[in-house]
Amino acid sequence: MAVADYKKYLAENVLNERRTVTYRSLSRALRVHSTLAKQMLYDFHRNENNKKPNSVNATYLLTGIQKAPETTNGYQDSFDENGIPQSSPYLSSSMPNQDAGADDIAVSSILLVREDDLEDAKATFESIASIHVYSLQPTVLQDLNVLTDVHGEMVTNHAQEDPLEHGKSWGMIQGKNVRRRTAGRPPAPAAAPAAPKTTIPAKRPIKSEEKPQPKTDTEEEAPKPKTEPKSQPEPATKREETPTSSKPSEKTAPPKQKGSIFSSFAKAKPKVKKEDSATSTTSAVQSAEPSGAEDVVLGDASDDDEEQEELFPNTGKAAPAGTRESRKEREEKLKKMMEDEDEDEDEEMPDAAQSPEESNPIDEPPPKQPELKEEMTVRGGRRRGRRQIMKKKTVKDDEGYLVTVEEPSWESFSEDEPAPPPKKKPAVSAAKGKPAAKPGQGNIMSFFSKK
Amino acid sequence: MTGSATENEFLRPPSEQEFDSVYRAPSQYNPLDTFRLPSGQDRHYQQQYGDMYFLRLAKLKPAVEEIAVEAWEGFSIAGEHARRVERVLDVRQGELCWVAGTIYMDMPLKPNILEDLTKENYTLAPPPRPTYQDPSNPDLTQIMLEDESGRLRLTGSMLRTAQLCTGAIIAVLGTENSNGDFEVIDTKVPDLARQPRRWERDGVDAAQKEPSKGKIAFVSGLGVTGTSSDTLALELLTDYLLGYSGSTSAGNSGDAPPDASTITRLVIAGNSLGASMTVDANADNGAGKKKAGPKKYGYDASAYNASPITRLDSFLAEILPSIPITLMAGQSDPANFSLPQQGIHRAMFPQARAYCAPPPAGEEKQEPGWFDSVTNPWEGDVEGWRLWGSSGQNVDDALRYLNLADEEGNVGDGAGDMEARIRVMEAMLRWRCGVPTAPDTLWSYPFQTHDPFVMESCPHIFFAGNQPRFKTAVIEGDSPLKLNGADTEMTGTDDDNTSGSRVRLISIPKFEETGELVLVDTETLEVEVVRFGAFAGQQEKQ
Repeated sequence: MAVADYKKYLAENVLNERRTVTYRSLSRALRVHSTLAKQMLYDFHRNENNKKPNSVNATYLLTGIQKAPETTNGYQDSFDENGIPQSSPYLSSSMPNQDAGADDIAVSSILLVREDDLEDAKATFESIASIHVYSLQPTVLQDLNVLTDVHGEMVTNHAQEDPLEHGKSWGMIQGKNVRRRTAGRPPAPAAAPAAPKTTIPAKRPIKSEEKPQPKTDTEEEAPKPKTEPKSQPEPATKREETPTSSKPSEKTAPPKQKGSIFSSFAKAKPKVKKEDSATSTTSAVQSAEPSGAEDVVLGDASDDDEEQEELFPNTGKAAPAGTRESRKEREEKLKKMMEDEDEDEDEEMPDAAQSPEESNPIDEPPPKQPELKEEMTVRGGRRRGRRQIMKKKTVKDDEGYLVTVEEPSWESFSEDEPAPPPKKKPAVSAAKGKPAAKPGQGNIMSFFSKK
Repeated sequence: MTGSATENEFLRPPSEQEFDSVYRAPSQYNPLDTFRLPSGQDRHYQQQYGDMYFLRLAKLKPAVEEIAVEAWEGFSIAGEHARRVERVLDVRQGELCWVAGTIYMDMPLKPNILEDLTKENYTLAPPPRPTYQDPSNPDLTQIMLEDESGRLRLTGSMLRTAQLCTGAIIAVLGTENSNGDFEVIDTKVPDLARQPRRWERDGVDAAQKEPSKGKIAFVSGLGVTGTSSDTLALELLTDYLLGYSGSTSAGNSGDAPPDASTITRLVIAGNSLGASMTVDANADNGAGKKKAGPKKYGYDASAYNASPITRLDSFLAEILPSIPITLMAGQSDPANFSLPQQGIHRAMFPQARAYCAPPPAGEEKQEPGWFDSVTNPWEGDVEGWRLWGSSGQNVDDALRYLNLADEEGNVGDGAGDMEARIRVMEAMLRWRCGVPTAPDTLWSYPFQTHDPFVMESCPHIFFAGNQPRFKTAVIEGDSPLKLNGADTEMTGTDDDNTSGSRVRLISIPKFEETGELVLVDTETLEVEVVRFGAFAGQQEKQ
């Protein structure tokens, strides 16, 4: 056991690095039972302070029954202005002066106490059931809330350890009937180092397969193993097929998993699409994906969203998103166009103007920088007119090269059919295009981003 | 102070002792879908709210009339027999009669949508008021009895003491006076609904079950903010629930908090996220958005603060491996605002989500998850007992109708306030209506076919979250409603009378403020409290 190591660990962390170590962080770090960790802290604290007084400071956790029900106010009264305890401070507050409601109710307290206040705190207790060292730190903690940070750090550092497996060694109370879904590995908390995370999913299916089985004695459990695979057949099976082979590729996956759920959402999209073409080969990639894909749903809690969540609509989903997006984009373009019209004619269309330069960069600039014009009349409440658009022509020139020339040409339009030919054209020709113009390929984040 | 043997369990050098693994007692859990709204396309908000009142009246009128008949049959004053009247408009002047209907209270400070519209200040939600009464002018409060035919104004000294609120269905006995007002002599309420036997819905006979030594834990108002100002108490709560704190052997010595392994389920009754975070977000910029408003795809990282929900998620994910959780939405949680609030979507919990039930596939009823995000109010069976609870909005709002200010002189968190809260909870049970003031002053979904707030059956445990202080009481079906009397009896917990319905009322305090966890024994329904906190010693005094 790590009993021998704990002194070294504590000396390093508390004395050298001057950090705070709680019994839980010690228990996690050394993988020992929490009771043992408490004893280690106590031992270390005693030894060090014997060697050199006040080198280590402790906080204690007291459990028991306090004298005055209203502790939170009670002990504050018991100090006078100088912060000196009065002679018999706690008797006054122990008078039950509250209403008749809480009289029969057993109120036990779990109180965190600094080393210096230990005796004072003990005096507030009627009986003490247990007392143990909660944390050790080199100096007195000004703010006990620091301990929450220690805890948070511990959680992130050990995020890769599955509590269902390790809980026993830490002394955690274990739930016999814990049900955890196999699909959808929750992404790492944002701060967690992502790399170690990935070793877990491979173990997961075996684990959770075993767990539900032995407790079929309770009647509600019986249907469980049946329903679970049914409702999410895809991810579960995929997982199990490739527990080992997925490992190397998952190693590459971690950067995707970290960060918010949105980022994983964004990354997941193109991947899912790729499966269309190469379903069989990408199973390894896929096994890293479910968590991302599951994140898709973030709307209201309506159930139609949820169905999709598990069904992996990998074919259908991307395309609608793309078209929706492009439609939106188109609408916006249209609006802009209308604004331009409103201002005046002779406005240059920015998109159309850019594209010629890009599409034939080697050539001499096109003979005329085309200015797109519009003529418009409003007749009978309906706008009609002609506008100039760029048409592309490909010709073979003298030297045998194919040259693409854009020529302005006129086209009539009316308000009723605002199909934007001028916009369609550049989308085809321009190499860069707008992300929306390529249906289905768009980054889904652009859909979410603010317009 | 006793230096018992257990004290030395931890204050000694490391031992070579082997540690047994501790297992949590299993939880029998069978939630009801009473408050689940139709999803997606089937959820409409076009309906009129009036239907809810008619539904409620139709449901409860027979119940209250039955009681009234029993009480007032043959009742006579000066030789005149009390006559039963079907509709409130049929009441004749000067005639002793009784009639049933819905209470409607017109109060000076009550938010009024029509008024808001005419004043064109409908852009802002009215600020919450401590009470709808105008303490300086109590006469402005009008109490009316309403049914589908019309309204009748009630008067009489009886009303001053009988505490009522809009939406309650009662029967009144009296006469119409020359002003056209109804002088009330006596009132009756539907009283407790039928209480199911324990284990009734689980199809198990109570005799077959061996008594379990379990406890159900309730907590509300965790108020997680995601900042370092999060209370240390949350850490201690985590430690306790996971079984780390406290000793393993001293569980039943009587002076220790109960062994955490007997806690079979944790119910979180709303407001898990700190309300302040949403306020901050609004205050920061004018375009502030509500936290994770629905239909908001993507977010602006500058305006959206994900840390509260992240912190809550990691809290849940930490204790979920050990204990099943029922999470109710609350006022400050990212769910819909109008009652019944639907469960917080599990997409908000990337880590804890793994313990949810799988998403519904098709129509078949599925098993509740280990982590169950449920509605508010919520109804369900835990360990065979029927639980009915809310995150506290119903109690808070009903309290605004009651004249509390004159008891203590102030509307605050005094003892009188807690007394009133328990009374309101009792009254709700006796009205058979868990949320009487919806849809009047509490936002509500416009139900068309049924009113889920009507209690079809009486729960065994009736709880309200996010109350200022812990308080509990037991009420019994037999004893009459004595809202106005000095009935301090009901706070007693000892009883051997097992006949009739008994309901345990619990007002769950805000954990953020009190650090209190409420435990209910699954055999006796006894309540105890575990309080978490830090000792503010000399360090903080200086």
